[in-house]
Amino acid sequence: MKREEAVQADKDSDPDVTVASVKTNDMPPGLPMMQAAYLPGLAFDEMYAADGEVRDHYSSVHARLTTLSPEALADRQKTLERSFLLQGITFTVYGAETTTERIIPTDLVPRIIPSGEWNQIEAGLIQRLRALNMFLDDIYGEQKILMDGVVPRELVLGAPSYRREMQHLYVPHKAYANVCGSDLIRGQDGQFAVLEDNLRVPSGVSYMLANRDAAKRTFPGTFRAANVRPVERYPDLLLATLKSMAPDWRPDPQVVVLTPGVYNSAYYEHAYLARLMGAPLVEGRDLVVHENMVYMRTTTGLRRVDVIYRRVDDDFIDPLTFRRDSGLGVAGLFNAYRAGNVVMCNAPGTGVADDKAVYAYVPDIIRYYLGEDAILPNIETFLCREPAQLSHVLANLDKLVVKAVGASGGYGMLVGPHASRKERETFAEALKADPANYIAQPTIQLSTAPCLIDGRIEPRHVDLRPFILSGEKIVVTPGALTRVALRRGSLVVNSSQGGGSKDTWILADDDSATVEETPS
Amino acid sequence: MMLARVADSLYWIGRYLERAEHFSRLADVMLNATLDRSDAAAQTAYIALSAVGDADMARAARTYEAARALVLDRDDPNSVVISLSLARENARQVRDQITTETWERLNLLYLKVTSDTASAAFESGSSAFLHDTIADLHLFKGAADATMSHGEGWRFLMLGAYLERAQLIARLLEVCFGDRRHARVTDRIALMNLLRMGCALEPYLRRYTAEIEPRHILEFLVFDEEFPRSIRFATTRIEEHLVGVSRHVATGGLAAPERLAGRLKARLQYADVDELESVGASALLATVISECAGIHNAVFDTFVAYSLEMKLPA
Repeated sequence: MKREEAVQADKDSDPDVTVASVKTNDMPPGLPMMQAAYLPGLAFDEMYAADGEVRDHYSSVHARLTTLSPEALADRQKTLERSFLLQGITFTVYGAETTTERIIPTDLVPRIIPSGEWNQIEAGLIQRLRALNMFLDDIYGEQKILMDGVVPRELVLGAPSYRREMQHLYVPHKAYANVCGSDLIRGQDGQFAVLEDNLRVPSGVSYMLANRDAAKRTFPGTFRAANVRPVERYPDLLLATLKSMAPDWRPDPQVVVLTPGVYNSAYYEHAYLARLMGAPLVEGRDLVVHENMVYMRTTTGLRRVDVIYRRVDDDFIDPLTFRRDSGLGVAGLFNAYRAGNVVMCNAPGTGVADDKAVYAYVPDIIRYYLGEDAILPNIETFLCREPAQLSHVLANLDKLVVKAVGASGGYGMLVGPHASRKERETFAEALKADPANYIAQPTIQLSTAPCLIDGRIEPRHVDLRPFILSGEKIVVTPGALTRVALRRGSLVVNSSQGGGSKDTWILADDDSATVEETPS
Repeated sequence: MMLARVADSLYWIGRYLERAEHFSRLADVMLNATLDRSDAAAQTAYIALSAVGDADMARAARTYEAARALVLDRDDPNSVVISLSLARENARQVRDQITTETWERLNLLYLKVTSDTASAAFESGSSAFLHDTIADLHLFKGAADATMSHGEGWRFLMLGAYLERAQLIARLLEVCFGDRRHARVTDRIALMNLLRMGCALEPYLRRYTAEIEPRHILEFLVFDEEFPRSIRFATTRIEEHLVGVSRHVATGGLAAPERLAGRLKARLQYADVDELESVGASALLATVISECAGIHNAVFDTFVAYSLEMKLPA
């Protein structure tokens, strides 16, 4: 359909009639401006059921989209991007001559999850994080799970993310991963599964909050009517979680956010969270360790710090304990932590539990500690360290996604079906040279959600990253970052690989207008 | 209580923005002066360029290029675009400490002057461009005043702005009325332009009528108690804000910066224009500039780069 026709159709169409017409015409689905563009593929579509009908929980957003002309949509998209730029929700691209600010692409069409599905996700996430915290407490303590042979010993102790320095250290509430962002995906069968856990320094929560802010301004009426659960409480829940990690004998603990600095790509988020929590945003150079106490340099002298929400990777937090060439950390910080005079959140060494090879054992880990089956399933995973599985992977490279165990952010991976023969051959060599460094998973057709692409609504693949807080208790904020693979057909949602994000609406149960976060 | 690094950044934001505003005004006055058929244009350009330390007659003759460089030259560490970039870079580093309203004003202005279209905008209408830049800076100040707590952070911001202002005005007056010059500026239009550079023309007219006299200008820009760009006004604020921030520092006697600021304030408070005329303006103006530099260093040593040994708990 040409643009002019689309506008015309838009003016004339009554949303109810349009929706109804889907049922009679069968295919293609009925958004006037979508007709040419929106032909969902094999994947599960978040908005359209397989028979082309709009899913119930999407009906109001769908109806709203049909009443907006492409121009009106483009205008809203522009306003949204402008507001992100103005707020400084950007990352900086350093060129030879000039530096430019770019916003992470943001899509204005919300992704919607009904309450029933969310309740299951929430229960699954809480269960998973409980088990992973117990796992971390065990492997840095008695190592029972290794002695019982549930997880191979060398897999855990040999992982670069395993920190011997953490052995037998007291961690309050045994809460190692205070902030966790797990990536969920929805496969062709419509079921959510966990793709990976992020227990180190997961980021993206500021986008969850900023996207929500934008969505409220973009679709106020639809938003109000949809009965969406609020995400605003994330900063104060985070602060409460961090404070619950401080030793009891320190009244009114001083919480700080430790950032690598303004050049870090997530700096905006660090400043944002610090501002919303009312906690100072510190850099390594602002902190001093003296006799195993941590202080920050203030205008009026040194002030004791009790809890550090650190957004600096393990390797860089303390040049005396970890990487010596790190200028981002604080010399002596780890010893202060070991002495119990300061708490770091997340604890160092949590990365071993989100290692891509350990991931394969998470259902066993849940069963081992909790005696329950995992509520959220894993993706089938082949460990290339096992010779039998390696040969299976090599034989099926064109169907599998192969990932390096240590890498993240969409780097060091091969998407078999999308790779050229040559790329696959090169990767196979790397695989054979160091099989223990790789795992493989079947290529999952991530679910698709409607996105505004060049003035049209088109389906794009999405994932879901909810954020789980664990301190004295475990809390899941009813919201998430939905990451979008903006290139048509692409399955890679990482922002470093051309991904964007969109707001995620978790709908409340019909009978409860206001919903409080329910701790486990 | 605030992070030392944060206080330092806020202080520099104040300084850089004051500088950006002043330079924008100098450029604007210079360019406006070229519109009239008078000898004052070259003299005005010379005053402005000398005040920023670039007293090259040949350059003053090419007023447009000189003004453009003051605003857009990325190789000049004092140009408006560089000052705004540095202010914004500092603001980003203390993003958690300034309000969103304040940040957005500055970020917007930064994006405007650093965009690809900035130089085209300047070329198609320098007057409108500079007018808008100054207006945006006023919006920033208004937003900061109206939305930030007037506590320690605010005082560091103000401290930077007033120290910069006292030095900039002193330098401007030194160029026009200093002893080193053979002839003091006496041309009426050039004097009016001087007042415009200090954003002082309208308040001056209300105070002294349209009689534009060097003596009155000196009195107004050095000693006036109420005009916000007079040196006396600035030094009074400097002292006030330093007393404010020093309240929180546990030191035996008066902290060094506070003492220096009190002395400078008293100099301005107890001198008058007759005295200034009889001994020449240069001595006092030089004192202002060097004592402001002294306060600047003392602030840094006292609040930001203090030695840890002095502050460690026993």
